[in-house]
Amino acid sequence: MANARALDRRRRSVRNIRKITRTMELIATARFKKAMDRSVAARDYTEQLAKILKNIAAVGEDLSHPLLRTRPTQRTAVLVLTGNRGLCGGYNSNAVKQAMGLLGQWSGDEMETHVTVSGKRGINALRFRGITIDEEHFKFEDKPAFSEVAPIGESYLKSYIDGDIDRLDVVYTRFVNIAKQEAVAETLLPLQSPTDEETLESPAGHLASEEYDFYPSAESILEEILPASFQSRLFKCFLDSAVSEQVARMVAMKGATENASGIIKDLSRRYNRARQTQITGEIMEILGGVEALKK
Amino acid sequence: MSTTSSQKLIRCVIVTPEQTVLDTKAAGVVLPLDDGSRGIAAGHAPFIGRLGAGEVKLLGVAGGNGGETTIRTFIAGGFTEVGNNEVTVITQQASDSGSIDPVEAKVELERLLAQKAVGDEQINALLSAESTARAKLRAAQKPKK
Repeated sequence: MANARALDRRRRSVRNIRKITRTMELIATARFKKAMDRSVAARDYTEQLAKILKNIAAVGEDLSHPLLRTRPTQRTAVLVLTGNRGLCGGYNSNAVKQAMGLLGQWSGDEMETHVTVSGKRGINALRFRGITIDEEHFKFEDKPAFSEVAPIGESYLKSYIDGDIDRLDVVYTRFVNIAKQEAVAETLLPLQSPTDEETLESPAGHLASEEYDFYPSAESILEEILPASFQSRLFKCFLDSAVSEQVARMVAMKGATENASGIIKDLSRRYNRARQTQITGEIMEILGGVEALKK
Repeated sequence: MSTTSSQKLIRCVIVTPEQTVLDTKAAGVVLPLDDGSRGIAAGHAPFIGRLGAGEVKLLGVAGGNGGETTIRTFIAGGFTEVGNNEVTVITQQASDSGSIDPVEAKVELERLLAQKAVGDEQINALLSAESTARAKLRAAQKPKK
């Protein structure tokens, strides 16, 4: 029979843990809201860029640019976005699993791969699995700044144009909605041609749209806008990751708090029973003593 | 420049990757295009243009007490789309011109001017950084109205 005092001690420690997990849940909720706002605020930029690209495509401009050209893949780059901290359910492990799948595929094809990982968790997990990491980032928390992401994008653009890499994949956790986030590997370079996805949706839509003039010329705008479009996509990956991490932590901590409550309930029941047994035992002893004295 | 309530206004939106910096109506907008400034008023013909570093000036924005103000925002290059009585400025970096410190901007420009670049790529990068710094300094030095 467990003794009452030990049960009480355990109950108290579980209560403390519940306090911590509940606080973490609240913090994650607040951070999630902020991250979400940032993500929504960033959407305008992407949409406007897409609009301009679409208009350039609508003019019938021949979309040829080094960033759009697909080359035979020999050297690839992979960027894996994970969190710096744990206690967020499957967030980090799912991204790592996705990255391992992709890296396994590349090494199977005997390709040279440049691996960049953001987040302590991902770095440790991938290193444990025997992956050589070429570049590490720790600074991205729940508020990735564009000025911090831009240099990374810049260096990828440069190595793509110089031919040091033929393809760039980003492994991150896409935020679909609050109930669903999925770890995905997205190919950012070569850039998908803007005509591929958008014009198919509205084949006749452009004809009615306004006729645009271009200053100085459509090609020169295209030349500038494609890198910007890549940067904004890369930035979106970071933002999505940040939002997903907070959601994952929120959900994980909510589960932990609920579990702690369940354990406390169970421990309380056992504690009460143990206490009652102890009291009954003591009464029996007293009664036994009284009986013995009577004789 | 004065405007009356009957004058048509044009909507101006400035977006950066992080947020929408500005979304307001103005009587006129001056855009720093790649090759020089261009004034836009309501009903301007649609165009898409490349922007250089410089100031976006919004003239005749309705102020708090019935008056009008001018909003000046420094941008470091980008794109603009004009059409549908709307000016959209897409830039990677935008800041209120009034908040730029002229001393700091000058130091930055001098630092860049002192730098040496080798090879086409570096020279081009340095030149564009210099012109951005110059535009920034110009924006900072303009008297505040």
